[in-house]
Amino acid sequence: MGGFPILTAMTFLPLIGALLIVLVRAATAGSRAAADDGRQNRAILMASLIISAATFVLSVAAFLSFDATQPGYQLVEQHAWYGPISYKLGIDGLSISLILLTTFLTPICLLASWNSINKRVTEYVVAFLVLETFMIGVFTALDLVLFYIFFEAGLIPMFLIIGIWGGKDRIYASFKFFLYTLIGSLLLLVAAIYMIQAAGSADFEVLEQYAFDPGIQTWLWLAFLASFAVKLPMWPVHTWLPDAHVQAPTAGSVVLAGVLLKMGGYGMLRFSLPMFPDASAYFQPMMFALAVVAIIYTSLVAWRQTDMKKLIAYSSVAHMGFVTLGIFAFNETGIQGAIFQMLSHGLISGALFLIVGVVYDRMHTREIAAYGGLVGRMPIYAGFFMLFTMANVGLPGTSGFVGEILTMVGGFQAATWAAFGAAFGVIFSAVYMLTLYRRTVFGEITNPHLEDIKDMNRIEWACIAPLAALTILFGIAPNLIFAVTSGATGRIIALMAGGQ
Amino acid sequence: MLPDSLLIFIVLAPGIAALLGLFHKVIGDRILMLATTGTVLTAGALSLFQLFAYVAGLGHVGAPAAHAAVDAYLTAGAAHGTQELKQHIITLMPWIEVGSFKANWAIRVDALSIVMMAVITGVSGLVHLYSWGYMSEEPHKSRFFAYLSLFTFMMLMLVVADNFIQLFFGWEGVGLASYLLIGFWYTKKAPNDASIKAFVTNRVGDFGLALGIMAVFFVFGSVEFGPVLDAIRTNAIVTPVAFAEAAPAREAVIMFLGHRVYALELIGILLFIGAMGKSAQFFLHVWLPDAMEGPTPVSALIHAATMVTAGVYLVCLVSPIYEYTFYASGMIALVGAVTALYAATVGMAQNDIKRVIAYSTCSQLGYMFFAAGIGAYEAAMFHLFTHAFFKALLFLGAGSVIHGMHHEQDMRRMGGLAKFMPLTYAAMMIGTIAIIGLGIPHTKFGFSGFFSKDAILESTFAAGTAEVMFGQMAFWFGLLAAFLTSFYSWRLIYMTFHGPMTSHGEHHDHGHHDTHESEDVKGEEHPADDHAHAHTPHESPLAMLIPLGLLSLGAVFAGFYFYDAFVEANNEAFWAGAIYRSPENTILHDRHYVPEWVLWAPLVVTVAGFVLASMTYFFNRGVGARIAASGGPLHALFSNKWYFDEIYQATLVRGSAFLGNIFWKADKKIIDGAGPDGMAWLAGFSARRLAKLHTGYLYHYAFVIIGAAIVFGAILWLRAGGAN
Repeated sequence: MGGFPILTAMTFLPLIGALLIVLVRAATAGSRAAADDGRQNRAILMASLIISAATFVLSVAAFLSFDATQPGYQLVEQHAWYGPISYKLGIDGLSISLILLTTFLTPICLLASWNSINKRVTEYVVAFLVLETFMIGVFTALDLVLFYIFFEAGLIPMFLIIGIWGGKDRIYASFKFFLYTLIGSLLLLVAAIYMIQAAGSADFEVLEQYAFDPGIQTWLWLAFLASFAVKLPMWPVHTWLPDAHVQAPTAGSVVLAGVLLKMGGYGMLRFSLPMFPDASAYFQPMMFALAVVAIIYTSLVAWRQTDMKKLIAYSSVAHMGFVTLGIFAFNETGIQGAIFQMLSHGLISGALFLIVGVVYDRMHTREIAAYGGLVGRMPIYAGFFMLFTMANVGLPGTSGFVGEILTMVGGFQAATWAAFGAAFGVIFSAVYMLTLYRRTVFGEITNPHLEDIKDMNRIEWACIAPLAALTILFGIAPNLIFAVTSGATGRIIALMAGGQ
Repeated sequence: MLPDSLLIFIVLAPGIAALLGLFHKVIGDRILMLATTGTVLTAGALSLFQLFAYVAGLGHVGAPAAHAAVDAYLTAGAAHGTQELKQHIITLMPWIEVGSFKANWAIRVDALSIVMMAVITGVSGLVHLYSWGYMSEEPHKSRFFAYLSLFTFMMLMLVVADNFIQLFFGWEGVGLASYLLIGFWYTKKAPNDASIKAFVTNRVGDFGLALGIMAVFFVFGSVEFGPVLDAIRTNAIVTPVAFAEAAPAREAVIMFLGHRVYALELIGILLFIGAMGKSAQFFLHVWLPDAMEGPTPVSALIHAATMVTAGVYLVCLVSPIYEYTFYASGMIALVGAVTALYAATVGMAQNDIKRVIAYSTCSQLGYMFFAAGIGAYEAAMFHLFTHAFFKALLFLGAGSVIHGMHHEQDMRRMGGLAKFMPLTYAAMMIGTIAIIGLGIPHTKFGFSGFFSKDAILESTFAAGTAEVMFGQMAFWFGLLAAFLTSFYSWRLIYMTFHGPMTSHGEHHDHGHHDTHESEDVKGEEHPADDHAHAHTPHESPLAMLIPLGLLSLGAVFAGFYFYDAFVEANNEAFWAGAIYRSPENTILHDRHYVPEWVLWAPLVVTVAGFVLASMTYFFNRGVGARIAASGGPLHALFSNKWYFDEIYQATLVRGSAFLGNIFWKADKKIIDGAGPDGMAWLAGFSARRLAKLHTGYLYHYAFVIIGAAIVFGAILWLRAGGAN
């Protein structure tokens, strides 16, 4: 220890920034007339962008001082807090890659809100920055209580983002989101309390080494699953996601699909596998079955959707099925594939929600039927949309492929039927994505409002182009990620083997 | 051999040229067209040079120089019996590396990829050139040329892969290019439907291919061709990654979906399902005829000469697997034979000129597959090679007709075109003679189809004699299909080029399959209408005739020139182990000992088909149409493609849609009903009920209190010992 506490700085920078924005806003609110609202809003957004960009720089700095060849936790900061609980932060290859995803997506989200959010801008950026702190906190926390606080606290800003800046059914959606996740988390809390009592510490490294009785493991595992399954989400507790996505503002959807869903997968890799290896092995067939059902079921449902965002939301559930499949394969290919799939899905689904946002901002409808023939007016948009469509379909050369094939290869080794079932996703994803693309982008323009629709503006370019670049980069050179995550993967597998 | 730098150029340059398409606004159509066409033509010239130099190096039959010459090209690998695998691998960069799952971006040069590179870049270069003429009125030229080059790049990546994953990259990449090009006229319904159908049907195949690759990794612990195929060649001991026991590669057994199966059979069948999708074999063939909605140069390049042959290439590439399977190779022979015959029957009854040729392609692919299925991989590759020339020729010739007829595709509206477009007519005649395989047995007088098709039929007969699974059947199906091929090919010629002109002056009435390029997005005025010749058929411009001429050369001479190397005396030296045959597989040799009639039978049926077509469509023009119009059940079956589309629509498509709707309802009704909505309702419901208890009447409360006191008192009394 000693030196600059970079993880703490990175985690709390957005929170401090949010406080500053509130203070400055409060200080200036009286002095300036409200006539200049637009300019003030821009200034607030710009400030939040700078803060989140600085957070991204810090996370890159943390990544650079991280040694990917070492499997364990690094840059650890630990301070005693209360009894078995301590303030402990640290990263490994798994968490730093998800942190980078978070800090990379947050500025994009804020930028995407540049023109689309016009009311309560201060509160909006504050919610986003606070959310960022909690998201990073989830991935840096190495103490169960600390983790739980971050994990739960993240609910609140997200609840507000959907409930205040959302669509017309936002109240139903936000409460559904809240209820689902809260019920899961309560069970997690009970399990966490038991674990801390039993092991005498909330430290991850202690808990990882503590051998829980196999009978108890089952209950603990189920309690954790309740939380992670909702977050991921797994079938059948996925129904909050389409509603939440549809109602959330574009940036909310991006961060929801991009980062929040990944907490489920992260939790399974951080807790379920290393801490409850026997229970994980015991429940493997069930998890495979749920993964396969998620992939087939939600893919078919996605195909029948008439709302663009709902379609992509269901597609997210299907793609997270591959994550479950990979994680519970318990082998290197599967777990590396699952981590990769999480990162790749963060980029691709985030981009797809931005893509929907582009036309939503112009037309204020997400109905697929309202579109058609966009390529004639928005060729650049059509190009980006095609790229992400293909990435979502898992075309080799995009990052979508690597995660899918590796999780299936891993799954095949564990249970051939799981890979067999998941492979249907290969067919169905093509069906729903190509149908969506064809109905919105190809064909004749039938809706007269589309006649003079404008192609992507510079802000939209700035949001989507980086995601496109990374989708291709990681598709062609995925080893960039595997090099970072291999240590953590090996450690998880070793911990599992040690426990059994 | 070509230096590495040139090989890298051949493979990557078309991809870079395609990327230029992103900047077409800046550089303009013309420069992009020059860049793509120039690049691919250069790559084509280099690849063809490589092929010719490689073959020339073999020298004459049995010359001792042969092996040395090959060595100059390829480095020798491990020897396996008499066959030595010689190849040259350039590793560009690592791609995926997770544990033992390793795949590089690589360029693999061996006899197979040398042949494929020549075919792909050769035909693609000519198609690029041809498109200068064919697409001249098209407003989106840049997009078209960029897609063509993208396709070329992907197809090259497919054939030069040194591992299954890169192969899959190319495999899906050509699928993407095919999707984009079929749907090139994106404002219309038919091309859009066809492009999705093509992509999705291919994905059904890819489902098998992906599982096959997973099984390969499971059994061999690698996805690189080298280790995997070597293990089978040498029958090395393999230990499947997880639970199965170690065993020699050829006898390895794994558990799949709860069944013990031979690993090679499983892998073979799964990979072949992928090949069926890409190569439009029976059951998964439905997309290919619809793919004709794309521009005709695309049909020639992708849906005739190159992409659809990828499945055949795959089967030949992994020949070590199929050499040691019984069911998998039997399945290939069966499916191939059925496809060859099926597609020929449908081809007889089509009136759209492109669809006739499309079914012909499907049928010829069937030939290649059953050849590979019975173990004559070399013959399959040979037919792939010659077929590329004459089928591309036929398609480009058809394109020339369509162009000359101002986008008419219905042969019933054609006729008598020979005098308007004599050069196109000549090219189509050459293509037709090549595809029906006209030649004189025992001599080397014949068009290219003669050499390859007869090699296949003879091998198949020999296989039938040796009781190879479905060998006998494949021979008879193939022979019958040869008769039908001759019939429909001549029917096409007669309907199009001979007889009276039926559509002259009335072609305003565009047929329903009219894919009119210029009727683009904005529906702008047809530029051709300004031309003086708008209503008379005309010969095509030079840019289109030159490719026809060059392909005609291939259609005439490719068989003759490459016969020795591909399937005759020099074949072992030529293939240099790239195709593997087990020591027991002597089919290529046995085919020389088939009875005399087998040699003559193809000629006889071909002539018979010619005579029948002449009787019905030339001498008694109209008879064919009357037979068709009389509407016999057989004709209905054939012209409706055996109702495959209808059956699939009614079962698979409707079924999935039905399931999707059910699941969606289940989300709302069952999951939400039992979950959040149900909980909310329950909470509300109980709250309302509980609220009703608060009536405010004192005697209600008193009643409850007294009742509770009695119950609790009774419980306490019982627990304290009760009555005793």
